[in-house]
Amino acid sequence: MLEVTNLSVAYGGLRALTNVSLTVNQGQFVTVVGPNGAGKSTLFKTISGVVKPMGGTITFLGDDLLALSAAERAHRGIAHVPEGRQVFKTLTVRENLEMGAYPKTGRAAWARSLDRIHTLFPILAERAQQMAGTLSGGEQQMVAIGRGLASAPKLLMLDEPSMGLAPTVTDTIFERISQIHTDGVTVLLVEQRVAEALELSDHGYVLETGHMVLEGPYETLMADDRVRKSYLGLTED
Amino acid sequence: MDIEVLIESVLNAVTAGITIGCIYGLMCIGLGMIFGIMKVVNFAQGELLMLGMFASFYLVTGGGILAFLGPYIGPFVGAMLAGPIVFLAGAFLHKFLISRVSGLRTAGSIDDGHFGQLIITLGISLILQNGGMIVFGSVPVTVQTPLSSSAFLLGPIYDDATVFLNKAKLVACAVAIITALALYFTMEFTRIGKALRAAADNPVAATYMGIDVDKYYRMAFGLGSGITAIAGGLMATYLSFGSFIGFDYVIIMYSGVVLGGIGSIMGAFWGGLTVGFVQQVSALVLPPQLQNAAIFVAFLMIVLLRPQGLFGRSAERA
Repeated sequence: MLEVTNLSVAYGGLRALTNVSLTVNQGQFVTVVGPNGAGKSTLFKTISGVVKPMGGTITFLGDDLLALSAAERAHRGIAHVPEGRQVFKTLTVRENLEMGAYPKTGRAAWARSLDRIHTLFPILAERAQQMAGTLSGGEQQMVAIGRGLASAPKLLMLDEPSMGLAPTVTDTIFERISQIHTDGVTVLLVEQRVAEALELSDHGYVLETGHMVLEGPYETLMADDRVRKSYLGLTED
Repeated sequence: MDIEVLIESVLNAVTAGITIGCIYGLMCIGLGMIFGIMKVVNFAQGELLMLGMFASFYLVTGGGILAFLGPYIGPFVGAMLAGPIVFLAGAFLHKFLISRVSGLRTAGSIDDGHFGQLIITLGISLILQNGGMIVFGSVPVTVQTPLSSSAFLLGPIYDDATVFLNKAKLVACAVAIITALALYFTMEFTRIGKALRAAADNPVAATYMGIDVDKYYRMAFGLGSGITAIAGGLMATYLSFGSFIGFDYVIIMYSGVVLGGIGSIMGAFWGGLTVGFVQQVSALVLPPQLQNAAIFVAFLMIVLLRPQGLFGRSAERA
């Protein structure tokens, strides 16, 4: 479905990603983990078109994504839930969701999507007329995920949905993400909360300082020494 | 002073304040779109007003294409048509100049592009003022309509105290209110209006939603230009103007927008209305040279009590 091949990105001469490759198949739940500054958000921004790569290719459902503008990519079925939520603060919760449904696919499925979003996050129905900027961090994250779902996306990309949230709220968010995937949406997740994230996924990648250092199914990653030591804090005994 | 004369002059100042205030309100909405909502500092807004006046002037008078409509309807149709004409001018300015210092290109930069906008729009303003003098000449002109020298009489209300409602200003006021409401409903309830607000609120996130941010910024800049131009076309029916008139109004527009509350269309309208009202009513007690000073005294007092403006809301969680 999504095929990233040998992607390299630099910010003003500074390498952020070097020859990164990644594959997401239809219906999969794929997670990219790695420490701060590894280039995880850069990878997402390049896929959604806000950052231009130096080299490499990205194809989505057979189309060359790099030939399309950033806005156009959303119309092709990619929903990006950005790091730090980035809700439209001065718009109401409902208007935020409506903007998620800006692409044609979203408009066609609007009634169904809204139902689904409200089932996942009932609080958003309650707060429909409230300005999104006045919500708590957890609620804003729900708006951001709901907004991503509203476009009825083929691929949902989530960039650190747990960032800055209380552990109980994070649990809820992860639970909902898992439910979204069960409902049939392909998910690409970037997370620093490695254990929880990998547990949800079919396939995982480890990104360190711009290089993909490891990949594999959940079991392989969890059995890997480096992952166990560096990310899960487990030691051999 | 005779009580009767006093009542008459107060009532007339109040009605003039409201009618002129509505036109100022529309003028401020134009800047409210560009500065309040899209957060682009535009010092050329006064010149867009001036372009609106001249667009209407050339359409209506001196054998213009609207001359056949006659002096009663022509000037107001001319004012309305100044809107789309200056919309195109604004969109053009945005495409080639303003877009380089605003929107996605400067999102997240230290000043959000404001320094660049300040210099570019000041430059555009100077070019349009002086270029306007070359093209339009230095003799002040006006769009004449017999309506501006006739009035509806209300009263006598108290003894012989009568309120004179200038017909030209009354029609202009009605056109201003209708245009303002149309824009308000467009911004508040249509998909385009919401996308525009989303693009202004967070250009990067808007791109993730599939919103073509550059296109919407261009449209917003054009709309803001066109709305102010319509107000200019309306004002052209009751005042004489030259290419330097914009300077007198750009400050009024900024105070109206800030007074009403940044980021609110209706706020900008009420802000403009307040400014027009204060300006006209202060004429009762102050000489004309001090009318603009009165505006700023009122402005400072309101901002002292309500720093967020009359209709400003804070969207950030406290």
